[in-house]
Amino acid sequence: MIPDLPHIADLLKTQGYITEPAVTMAVYLSMQLQKPLLIEGPAGVGKTEIAKVMARALDTDLIRLQCYEGLDASHALYEWNYQRQLLHLKMLETRQGTPGAVDALEEEIFGEKFLMKRPLLQAITHHKSPVLLIDEVDRADEEFESFLLEVLSDWQITIPEIGTIRATHIPQVIVTGNRVRELSEALRRRCLYLWIDYPDYEKELAIVRGKVPQISAQLAEQICRFMQELRQLRLEKTPGIAETLDWATALSTLHFDHLPQEIIEQTLGVILKDWKDTRTAQLSLSELYEKMGVVSKIEEL
Amino acid sequence: MIQRHTDLVANVVAFCRYLRAYGFRIGPEEEATALRAAALVTLNDRGTFALALQVSLTRSVQEVAEFKVLFERYWRELENALDSKIKDDESQRSKYQKNTQPSFNALKSWLNGNRNTEETETATYSPTESLSHQDFSLIPADQLADLERLLREVSLALARKVNRRREKTLHAKAFDLRGTLRRNLRRGGELIDLAYKRPRRNRMRLVVLADVSKSMDLYSAFLIQFLYAFQNVFRRIETFVFSTDLHRVTAELKQQNFQEALKKLAESETGWSGGTRIGGSLHTFVTDYGKLLNRETIVVILSDGWDTDDTRDTGTLAETMQRIQQKSRKVIWLNPLAGRAGYEPRTAAMQAALPHVDVFAPAHNVESMRALGKWL
Repeated sequence: MIPDLPHIADLLKTQGYITEPAVTMAVYLSMQLQKPLLIEGPAGVGKTEIAKVMARALDTDLIRLQCYEGLDASHALYEWNYQRQLLHLKMLETRQGTPGAVDALEEEIFGEKFLMKRPLLQAITHHKSPVLLIDEVDRADEEFESFLLEVLSDWQITIPEIGTIRATHIPQVIVTGNRVRELSEALRRRCLYLWIDYPDYEKELAIVRGKVPQISAQLAEQICRFMQELRQLRLEKTPGIAETLDWATALSTLHFDHLPQEIIEQTLGVILKDWKDTRTAQLSLSELYEKMGVVSKIEEL
Repeated sequence: MIQRHTDLVANVVAFCRYLRAYGFRIGPEEEATALRAAALVTLNDRGTFALALQVSLTRSVQEVAEFKVLFERYWRELENALDSKIKDDESQRSKYQKNTQPSFNALKSWLNGNRNTEETETATYSPTESLSHQDFSLIPADQLADLERLLREVSLALARKVNRRREKTLHAKAFDLRGTLRRNLRRGGELIDLAYKRPRRNRMRLVVLADVSKSMDLYSAFLIQFLYAFQNVFRRIETFVFSTDLHRVTAELKQQNFQEALKKLAESETGWSGGTRIGGSLHTFVTDYGKLLNRETIVVILSDGWDTDDTRDTGTLAETMQRIQQKSRKVIWLNPLAGRAGYEPRTAAMQAALPHVDVFAPAHNVESMRALGKWL
């Protein structure tokens, strides 16, 4: 049922995820041992993408819980649709139900019909084992993290009005973090761990070629080399693979087959999202360009 | 075949112990996970085997890096001879001891509460051995981890103090009856929209000013640890270091890992271990960053109060301290020396500053840092 190690590598590859052995191993063990997988790494290196690819590879649904500051249990689990309950009661009132039916009525308005399932509840009641992505868990408050631990270990959720709902299928859990806040030891211990770093040149090139098939070989190489050098600068927000891909797509759409310096300057906004970084990059543009090993136009003349 | 298998189990368990000795938190559950993982992969490929253990035994990126080294070392040693492992371990340890700097030994002894050694260490510390280009990463990583963890616990506990007052929120957690009634008055009392409240978030802003001059050398490593841990817990915190001049280091401390933060700090021109101009530095703070101060700001100054400027400067200091106190909610002065028996704040700078300080407290060990919670 659960694919073996080489099979997973193939699956990831066919889904267009260029990977390294550590990623394959982590995904494999997380499936085999039924443990959540905690993925950390800089922004834009494809942490979230792993969950998406996994869902596609396993041919199941991806349920995503995006964490943010102030996220609480009711937004992650379930909520009663209060307005609808109220309307329902109002409508019944006009029909003047018999007084004895109050209990039945209560049961009715606290039934599934008025229950709004949020991602965690959705995940455990799904018709088949889904991939549950808990994205950027470090953005949520610590109290939410502790609450999450409870759900992740028991796979059951208690709703006072209904009772305990047990998981029909244990979801495949991926937890990602950007290290905004240090995660608790308890959560770390509950998960397997994977760190994804910026890709090296070869890997990045493979990714660009895979995702932007129409790109010319020369442009792809130059873009990747430039990105590698760019990441060496001290930047506030170092661009990830997502930015590389955006840039590659943009430039290939504009039918460039190589990377002249002027174009880099004009399109820097695609990869750098911070004005300070843009300035830093502009100042060292010539240097970067030289490092790319590209002969500038002046030298050519 | 069976013999081989039991060997493997024993080795994996022994390896887990080995990792534990290097500060990895591995319990029986992790050992079980590692064994299950090891059983799932083919053993003839060492790389795959290493990866399986890595995924199941590491918990952070630092650990991943350490794991790779330790794995290589352990299995190499195992191959050479089983007994040599222990010997090598010992030689490793003695190497560490040679590397340790006097300042770190002193630091360690205070953490254990041993004042005597602290004094002897201070005495043997030679001023010629300049720490102005101190390489912080020389601090042995294994001991640092303990200290770091302790400090993180303390700072987490401090940050977690929840406000007991309530504020409005959109999230259903606690029902706000009053708010709900008010909101629905115009509907003739039919409660349609609900209002909620939650514990009020801590809106406190923290400004930390840390003295990193020569006289504070003994404490600097320790303080930086604390600042780092603090920085990563409190969202609203600004950190400055000063010796002869003031530097804002908030961004440097926001690094994802501590070693990197240290490197950034060491690289920045902060004038570590120089003289001290407390008055001048604080003056720079008020003029350049005065806008950080308001009624929600707590200012924490970490300094021993030794000023290399002559007494001329104390006027500035007193005046500046007064301004800081007026503009902020509270001024806390943490002095590492104040933890010693019989300490009196006799230096001119300390004398000048004291009238404008709300809390004067020691900061010489983790315990005193924990007590900081009282004041925040």
